[in-house]
Amino acid sequence: MKIIAIITGKILIFLGSLINRGSTLPGKIALKIDKKLLSKLKYPENVIVITGSSGKGSTSKIIANTIKKTGIKVTFNKSGSNLDRGITTTLLKKCSLTGRIKTDYIVLEIDERYTKKAFAYLKPKYVIITNITKDQPPRQHYIDLVYQDILASIPKSTKIITNMDDPYLRKFSKDLPNEIIYYSISENKYSYKNQIFENLNIYRCPYCNTTLKYQYYNFETLGKYHCPSCSFKYEKPKYLGTNLDLTEGLITINNKEYPIGGNMLYHAYNTLAAISTLKELNISETIINQSLKEQEITKEITFNNNTKTYYAISCKAENATTYNSAIFKVINDSSPKDIIIGWKEISRRYKHYDISWLYDIEFELLTKNTNKFYACGIDAKNIAKRLILAGIPEEKIIISDSLNEIKEQINKDEVNKIYGILNFDYMEPFEETFKEEK
Amino acid sequence: MNINIAHLFPDILNLYGENGNIKALKYFLEKEGYKVTITNVTLEDELELLKYDFIYIGSGEPEYLNLAKNKLQEYKNDFLNYIKKEKIMLVTGSALSIFDFLNLYEINEEPDFKVADVSATTSLCNGVIYAFQNTKYLIKSTNHLLFNLETGFGNNNTMLEGFRENNFYVTSLIGPLLARNDNLTKYFVKLLIENLNEEN
Repeated sequence: MKIIAIITGKILIFLGSLINRGSTLPGKIALKIDKKLLSKLKYPENVIVITGSSGKGSTSKIIANTIKKTGIKVTFNKSGSNLDRGITTTLLKKCSLTGRIKTDYIVLEIDERYTKKAFAYLKPKYVIITNITKDQPPRQHYIDLVYQDILASIPKSTKIITNMDDPYLRKFSKDLPNEIIYYSISENKYSYKNQIFENLNIYRCPYCNTTLKYQYYNFETLGKYHCPSCSFKYEKPKYLGTNLDLTEGLITINNKEYPIGGNMLYHAYNTLAAISTLKELNISETIINQSLKEQEITKEITFNNNTKTYYAISCKAENATTYNSAIFKVINDSSPKDIIIGWKEISRRYKHYDISWLYDIEFELLTKNTNKFYACGIDAKNIAKRLILAGIPEEKIIISDSLNEIKEQINKDEVNKIYGILNFDYMEPFEETFKEEK
Repeated sequence: MNINIAHLFPDILNLYGENGNIKALKYFLEKEGYKVTITNVTLEDELELLKYDFIYIGSGEPEYLNLAKNKLQEYKNDFLNYIKKEKIMLVTGSALSIFDFLNLYEINEEPDFKVADVSATTSLCNGVIYAFQNTKYLIKSTNHLLFNLETGFGNNNTMLEGFRENNFYVTSLIGPLLARNDNLTKYFVKLLIENLNEEN
């Protein structure tokens, strides 16, 4: 069965490439032919899995591209298809007819709820956990379930690479015997002393439930914490990012400067996660640096049109943390601005209509320095309502069906800076509409 | 005049934008000219229920629901007294699993999550209620109901949902229920104002 599944998969991949269409269909069919196909493939020793609620795509891209630069062959699901069918399709492309993966390395971005199944056959050498935050509640319900899935399935021999700044992720060190390698970003010019976000994952000590104290916060629950009742505290990490500069897009890691490929704090964390991994793999400084300089920036758009500067930040619907990081970016710019908030749809995975995550986003922080708010897209009315309940005066909020309509109004506004806080599906329409002359 | 709202344990019971309910109440009460004081109650605080005009508690993860329950059980008689005095309390989502210790209703723990878009009607206000369910806990008892469901999961496999005793309102609907439904918020605002007027 295995051979038939592999051959069929490979033929479908070939046919797909003829019509220039990549899809997860080959994996789907191959798994229909042999349900246990993935456990029958022969994997190389070096399997690296990147998982988490957000940032796994960017982090895995840096890791895979940099390893490739050293001349090593890598199997990588660069399309971001991170469930069984997508992963099967990726592996089929790179395996022999007997099912041996022909590359020395496998780098896979894996959906955090799929790790449960994937770890059983992949037995990764390294697992990078970028974060575990509220995400797609109708599918994931709550984050402890994600945590439990990873916890239950991770092999003892796997080394975990994760973020020291997040007390939630420290639960792994409480519950697992595995070696854990930590990275962290030190206090920087964007850090703050008192919590500004609400409805976060963790406020209390994972050991004794006492409310944690922080010396500073970098963002949401990230920062330098300690428990006033027990010995739980932020520990010195192996990889420390310092001198963070989001305007220049630079960070210093263990005394060497690197570009982070963007201007958002999460770019810095993703880059740091990737560099920590690459350093563990003993990849040379020169290659890491070269690879980072070549990486594409995909999650932000910035451009000028007439006298106005446009800056759009891509977020993930149903993931409040991604919106909070956009808001955190906006409030670090004190110049007067218009803000456009919107998306085409909430989820492509299911039909549920749950807007609870809108109330996990700290829109309250936007009350200062904003001239007008434009709420648009399918949830324009819900966004407007959320803004009103955030204490933003109703006369500042404009509900609009189309970006073109907003463009007309914005051109009349005196403000010259426009921020888009958008779901990723609104980035292209935003750029098309506002870049166009007139 | 001042209205005191208590939000119980927002640092651990905050899964689905639950504080949107408080934001909605505050907005409409302030529109009516009332001053609103919100107290975020933590596990370490002493609870003086009668100090408050409205008590709210929302969804949490099982570990945190247990912590909350351990704490609140000590106040069983205080809660029963609060309810008897027709003071207002709203319990949403998985927080309903906490209050079975009051012996007013029973709960069912479902094997799988019940996830659904909800549209419903209620005797509390006119119009349709739009909400969401994402829970393993439903109420078993089918007396003292709150909602007639068009869609969603009701108590004990019926299309009737929730529980009410005087002004103690319990529902499996999650998240910013009041923020989504002005009609329901206005019901509570009216009730709060009436209660306040009676007291004075």
